[in-house]
Amino acid sequence: MKPFIMKTADTRGSFSPSLIIGIVATAALFCVPSFVQSPYALHMMILLFLSTIVGESWNIIGGYTGQYSVGHAAYYGAGAYGTLILLHKWDIPPWYGMWAGIAAALVLSLIIGSICFRLRGPYFVLASIAVAEIVRITVLNTPGLTNGAEGILLSDLPPLTIGGTVITDFVSKVPFYYISLVLAIFTIVVTWLLQNSKLGYYFQAIREDQDAAHSLGISLKLYKNIALAISAVLTSLAGSFYAIYIKFIDPTTVLALDLSVQIVLIAIIGGIGTIYGPMIGAMVLVPLSEALRSNVIAQGLINSGLVREDSGPGIFLKEHLAHAHVLIYGILVVVVILFMPDGVLGFVKKLTKKRG
Amino acid sequence: MAILEIKHVSKFFGGLAANSDVSFAMTEGMIMGLIGPNGAGKTTLFNCITGYYAPSKGEVRFKGKLMNGLEPDAVCKLGMARTWQKVRPLAKMTVADNVMVGALCRTNSLKTARDLAMEQIKVVKLDKKVNFLAGGLTIGERKKLEVARVLATKPELLLLDEVMGGLNPAESEDIIQLILDIKKTGITQMVIEHDMKAIMRISDRIVVLNSGEKLAEGAPEEIVSNPEVVTAYLGESH
Repeated sequence: MKPFIMKTADTRGSFSPSLIIGIVATAALFCVPSFVQSPYALHMMILLFLSTIVGESWNIIGGYTGQYSVGHAAYYGAGAYGTLILLHKWDIPPWYGMWAGIAAALVLSLIIGSICFRLRGPYFVLASIAVAEIVRITVLNTPGLTNGAEGILLSDLPPLTIGGTVITDFVSKVPFYYISLVLAIFTIVVTWLLQNSKLGYYFQAIREDQDAAHSLGISLKLYKNIALAISAVLTSLAGSFYAIYIKFIDPTTVLALDLSVQIVLIAIIGGIGTIYGPMIGAMVLVPLSEALRSNVIAQGLINSGLVREDSGPGIFLKEHLAHAHVLIYGILVVVVILFMPDGVLGFVKKLTKKRG
Repeated sequence: MAILEIKHVSKFFGGLAANSDVSFAMTEGMIMGLIGPNGAGKTTLFNCITGYYAPSKGEVRFKGKLMNGLEPDAVCKLGMARTWQKVRPLAKMTVADNVMVGALCRTNSLKTARDLAMEQIKVVKLDKKVNFLAGGLTIGERKKLEVARVLATKPELLLLDEVMGGLNPAESEDIIQLILDIKKTGITQMVIEHDMKAIMRISDRIVVLNSGEKLAEGAPEEIVSNPEVVTAYLGESH
């Protein structure tokens, strides 16, 4: 076992430099659409914000409370389907429909919590995977409500009007940019508030030693369920946003296991149980996914001369690397857990500690 | 009225009787020593008292209230708290945060909890290590941390499970002083210990367990001269 490095704790950011950096960064991000017009760039930023939202949300139950749910797609899908079913079937605008998603995610989290929290460690993980799959299969097989495998395709969104004036008709990416940015900041603020609250202390106590926490007056059932409920609701907001942004959802895109794995990965890569971790994870994974998807990596390997285009490996890479994202994620999880268990953030801290 | 009554408590694991018909009572403010060879059922009894196990038979009554079947967190909130034989620090949290987790049992305000925590940290003399991560403390410091943390829950009855285990004589002396100081504040204590000299010094009464049964109960002098106890546990040299 590695010797435990005795170190003093970092100050818990009340009015620390990181808060100032955060405010400046937020202001800068709000100004971006005034300078950047490219829809592709805005799309990348939106994906970044979306990944941040799901990473920070997962972190509440996973990083802070230590319950590694690998079934968070269930809540994402609840948000997505809740919003789009209400819009598609009954023309209810998404700013009301998202509350249906929230309600569904909340109920789901209470059900899942009551079943799965009796289990510890890896057994909880497996149970969370199983329950998410049950949700996916149920949605797949209730075509009357959800259109089953066909999914729900939205043609356009109702314009957002406040008191008669049209704020936006959602044609460009800009309103989505702002919505996702606000949601991301919201999740970060919620995490920060939790961290500096009694709930945050109790969550972390449960993570560190469940039995000790229990003996100190902490009801495991109550607090694990609170953590999961908060996490589920925030994740469902991400799902609702995804649904109105992409305008197409089906069980494979919003309820599948590889989405759950991606969510966990975002938090783990950056640094589990920290506020910045998921942001960093998003900044690693979104470009990586995009590079894989658009075949940039395969092409880059070929262009650099490492791999010949017409060789066996060359052809294989060109054809298959784009689809290998799940494999790459799996390898990433193993690498991070083996070599950087505290994520990029922990790795950087260790490096600076050695120098300092 | 007795603050704690153990009435014919038995705990079975399949065919094994870990505790068998154990009865005794504690009065407020006393220190009860609980001794016995390894495997006698001392920690099992602690677990039965604090809600980790439900007794198979018998009753645990705290201030007259039946405790059987209550969850550990409910037991703590009612005023009984315990430390662990194998220390359980919340490793990635600081000393201050560890004790605050205990203090938050009695308040919702972080500020109040922090003040409460700092009091207890001073009592166990860990105030120089307030911002150290608990995982980086020595074993002696971890034991002190555990006591501070449990004191922060403002217990009326404190159960200490081998709190001197693994400590050198100086550290043990610190803990003995701590236990005597805690007694002055009026908190009742049940102490499991193997260090006989320490038990003799601090206990008002001693209960001896052997193979799950209560072997003897009495004042320290009576216990030490009880031939059965000597045979089972103490050895001739005492």
